[in-house]
Amino acid sequence: MADENATENGASDTAHLYEGKKVSSAPPSRKKAAGRMKSSTDIPEDAIPEVHVPTIIESFFGGPIVNTTKFLPPDRMVASLQMGSAGVLMVLSLLTFMVTPVSGTAWFALSNMLGMQTLGGVLHLLIIVGGLIGGLYGIFQRDQRALIVSYALLIVVTLRFAGSKVDFGISFLPEEEIYQKMLLLLYAVFLVMYMELTSGIIRFSMLDTSIRTGEVYVMQVTKITSRYHKSLLITPAIASSVAGLTLLINLIIPAFVGLFDDVSARRLSESVELTSVYGVALGTVMVFTVIAAMFAVNLPLRIQQMRERNA
Amino acid sequence: MAWSRKSAMFAALAIAMYLLGLVLRNSQLVTVAVVLLSFLTWAAFRTSHADVASSGRRVDDADADEGIQLHSISALRRISSARIFEDGEIDVTLRIQNRSNLSKVLEVRDRVPEVMRIKKGANYVLMELGPQRETEISYTIETPLRGFYTVGPVCIRVQDAFGLFHNEREIHLYDDFLVFPKMEDIKDAMIKSRVPKIFTGAVNIRNPGEGSNFYNLREYIPGDPMKKVNWNATARSAGKMMVNEYERDAVSDIILIVDSRKIAETGPVSRNSLVYSTRAAASLSQYFLSRRDSVGLVTYGDEIVSVDRDTGKKQLYVLLTKLAGAMAKGNTPLKVVTDRIMPHINRGSPVIILSPLEDDSTVVSAVRDLRSRNFDVTVLSPSSLEFEFDARRLDRTGYEVLKTERDILLSELRGLGANVMDWEPDMLLNTALAGARGF
Repeated sequence: MADENATENGASDTAHLYEGKKVSSAPPSRKKAAGRMKSSTDIPEDAIPEVHVPTIIESFFGGPIVNTTKFLPPDRMVASLQMGSAGVLMVLSLLTFMVTPVSGTAWFALSNMLGMQTLGGVLHLLIIVGGLIGGLYGIFQRDQRALIVSYALLIVVTLRFAGSKVDFGISFLPEEEIYQKMLLLLYAVFLVMYMELTSGIIRFSMLDTSIRTGEVYVMQVTKITSRYHKSLLITPAIASSVAGLTLLINLIIPAFVGLFDDVSARRLSESVELTSVYGVALGTVMVFTVIAAMFAVNLPLRIQQMRERNA
Repeated sequence: MAWSRKSAMFAALAIAMYLLGLVLRNSQLVTVAVVLLSFLTWAAFRTSHADVASSGRRVDDADADEGIQLHSISALRRISSARIFEDGEIDVTLRIQNRSNLSKVLEVRDRVPEVMRIKKGANYVLMELGPQRETEISYTIETPLRGFYTVGPVCIRVQDAFGLFHNEREIHLYDDFLVFPKMEDIKDAMIKSRVPKIFTGAVNIRNPGEGSNFYNLREYIPGDPMKKVNWNATARSAGKMMVNEYERDAVSDIILIVDSRKIAETGPVSRNSLVYSTRAAASLSQYFLSRRDSVGLVTYGDEIVSVDRDTGKKQLYVLLTKLAGAMAKGNTPLKVVTDRIMPHINRGSPVIILSPLEDDSTVVSAVRDLRSRNFDVTVLSPSSLEFEFDARRLDRTGYEVLKTERDILLSELRGLGANVMDWEPDMLLNTALAGARGF
């Protein structure tokens, strides 16, 4: 039917369809749009999205340098963690200064080359102070990047060629091996707890922000926080016990061998290898072999099942 | 057992320090590394047990092996309604049971469709659940967009106090619900059929018959009921008995054609042609069905889906369900749709097309065919240009050019005798319908 209405030049003749009808010349929307339109054909400024091109340093760190995480003001739990972390950091800095001598470090070698021996000591102190200040800033500003810098500085300061002998930065510290190792263990536990507590600050700040913005609901908050507090006491104790076993393997092995042969035990206790870091390596192998065997026989599952049954 | 980023970082650091300590013969580094490894090992020991794969068990056993800690947790969900309209609210109640003899600290997350908003409560809960205890989590979700949705599964996680390792389990508990398009109250659609059906309805048409509105006067014919006699007119007409005639109230067939091609979804998720079209179709269905018309629906995208004409409330829910499920897919031309349906509908029936009219070169010929067969064609066209321009995805120049092209197309359709309305986003459906009719 449409073809019947085609005109000579091909266009359709549709006049018969709207004969006698009122046909509006322009749609209302056109009028409305015309009223709103301005003469300018510029693209509105807010139509162009903001694009942040990261710098080389930002690319290296994988994001903006400035911390973009926004936390609400700290609640009691976070504030107590902040205070605890600050205290641990102070003790850790002191312990680091005590247990890490400047000799054997790269900056010590550099200062010797330059003929300014005090420079090495100053640089060493500066690194520890840098770790302390960065850590305090990270703790109270809840800035993860400052915390990472602090971790790095407090680890870097221990990097030295030591020659298998335990050396400390302060000469009046105990000479007995067992006390030296206990001091080292204390330092290591404080370093690990510092890392854990500061990550706890960020974790609980995130949780607190999510609770207060209604994203997460927490039932029995005190029970959950008390579980964390309990773990903060138990876990370092257990970790330091396991690490103690590993570090004191040069005393444990001769004591065990001494049950059968005193001479061999004495030789073992005087062995340079067993008292050096290689002795610690041997201890690590032995202790962690036992732990791996526990996992291999699925001991945690069995303990869990036993607890379920006996509860 | 899964590792967190923190535990992975700690492990990597410990190993690096340990190896470096051995190389440099540095007791400090080795000691720190050993303490760190012990710390990790204890956390892993407390959290879980050997990995399923390494223990050589089959994958089927993995579900039961997700951790004895999670094995005894079960969940039950109840939702307040399985059918709701857009912008409605659904109350969800999730009951978590701990059938174990030990208390557990759990993270529970009930997965909600991404487009939904949590209005009240939380679907993510951290809790300690005592032995042989149960608890209820309640939250309310807002349903801003039509469609078929599912709440679930329930994800449960147990992790150590330091967040180093965790066990997760998904409880496959799902609840489906349907969100119907929002409806607008229509006072008068101003659409009447030229071919009434034999049953009387609520709409008067310009034909005499049994109805309520006065049509005209005529002379009495034997058999006319006496109640129809107009005595005043009889007195004035010199002895001739005159009777009142009334307009016939009738029902008609209404066909709604909804464009659900991929292009109909151009624009923001909540403001695009398809959203507006489905809402309009829902509103029109309700209006026409309430006046006892029979309404049919055709949606076309990658395929043509049609609902045959029918009346009543049941038909309304059938239509709403189809509209809720309309997905923007494909690019079927309108002409194919009209060619398919034209043989099956009564000539002269009102046909309402809801389409952005874009990317379809057959629109003009389809409307021409409908008009030439005397169908009363109404085109409501929500323009994606407006949505795109409002969302600032289209610059002024592009908008002007495309708008001009669109206006030319709409004028051509008007020229064919169709009632066409360029439906703007801020315009009510009532206004758009009135505009289409030239009011």
